[in-house]
Amino acid sequence: MAECAEISMMLGAFEDSELEPNEMQEVAYHLARCDSCTGVLADYSTLGRDLRSITAEPSLAGFSSAVIARVDRLPMPIFTRIARALRRQLDSVGAGLAWGSAAVAMAVVTIILMTPYAEKFANHSAPPTLLAKAEPNSPSDATTSEPTMADNDSHADISRLESENRSVAVWSEPRRDTTVIWLPDQP
Amino acid sequence: MLVERYQRRVVGVALAVVHNQDDAIELAQETFVRAYENLSKFESRSSFSTWLYRIAANLAIDFWRREGRHVVLHGEDAENEISKLPTATGDSFKEVSRSELSARLKQALEELTPEHRAVILLREVEGMSYDEISEVLQCPRGTVMSRLHYARTHLRTILKDVAGS
Repeated sequence: MAECAEISMMLGAFEDSELEPNEMQEVAYHLARCDSCTGVLADYSTLGRDLRSITAEPSLAGFSSAVIARVDRLPMPIFTRIARALRRQLDSVGAGLAWGSAAVAMAVVTIILMTPYAEKFANHSAPPTLLAKAEPNSPSDATTSEPTMADNDSHADISRLESENRSVAVWSEPRRDTTVIWLPDQP
Repeated sequence: MLVERYQRRVVGVALAVVHNQDDAIELAQETFVRAYENLSKFESRSSFSTWLYRIAANLAIDFWRREGRHVVLHGEDAENEISKLPTATGDSFKEVSRSELSARLKQALEELTPEHRAVILLREVEGMSYDEISEVLQCPRGTVMSRLHYARTHLRTILKDVAGS
């Protein structure tokens, strides 16, 4: 067949599906009528399978470690050495900063968590006499209204008012053995 | 890791050219070392893998030429060889015994130039497309096609001789 020589040039690419669509069509049309080219195509297909079967997969055990060892043996340019040394230093400084930041963060968290307990502890060891200032609405309120500080302090046990002066409130906290003197704002 | 990801195919490319496992593994290791040394020269015009395979192919072809194991046909010489080959005919070599065929096929591969062997093995064993082969071997797509045609016709002719004898 006259066109066999021309088609045979394309048979391999046809087998590999690497022809343009119109060329694929042309070869397929020819193959439908040509037993000789169909036989060649079958041989190419068999050849491909045989090539795959005779090519043994090489053992790659230890391949990557051998590559790394060879890379490590490479002489390093001076700039690369300096850059690596700097990078190593930066890495260690960076790690130090990270640890430092973590320690500071821990300390801050500890302070925040412990503050209420610390205040409580400080209150227990407070001096026996307290002097507080309040802002009563008028001097006359000083004796009639209960002192605000006493309201806030659950330990305060006000037994009696001890001052005759209406501008000064004085009372005792027997449980604490404390005397509290309440003064209004000074003009 | 990068080496483990590409090692099998890099060895495959080297093996396609030199057709010797020990040499191929040695060349593949050298490929990774060269790639490491020249990483700054890598441009993203092609994929990293293609660049790596190209280094492997170049090293393998250089190795083959340096070793002088074979008379290598270049460019037009190799392509002209195609015209000397008998036109493919329909006689199949299916009937040849498998072991005999395999032995002869290995020998026939040895007889090919590294360029032709590389093209057919990259296609048939590594499953590369013509465009990939063209990039790896740095030759036009048309050259890939003609080398493949030559290699296939050559191997088929040899195998047919085995079948005929």
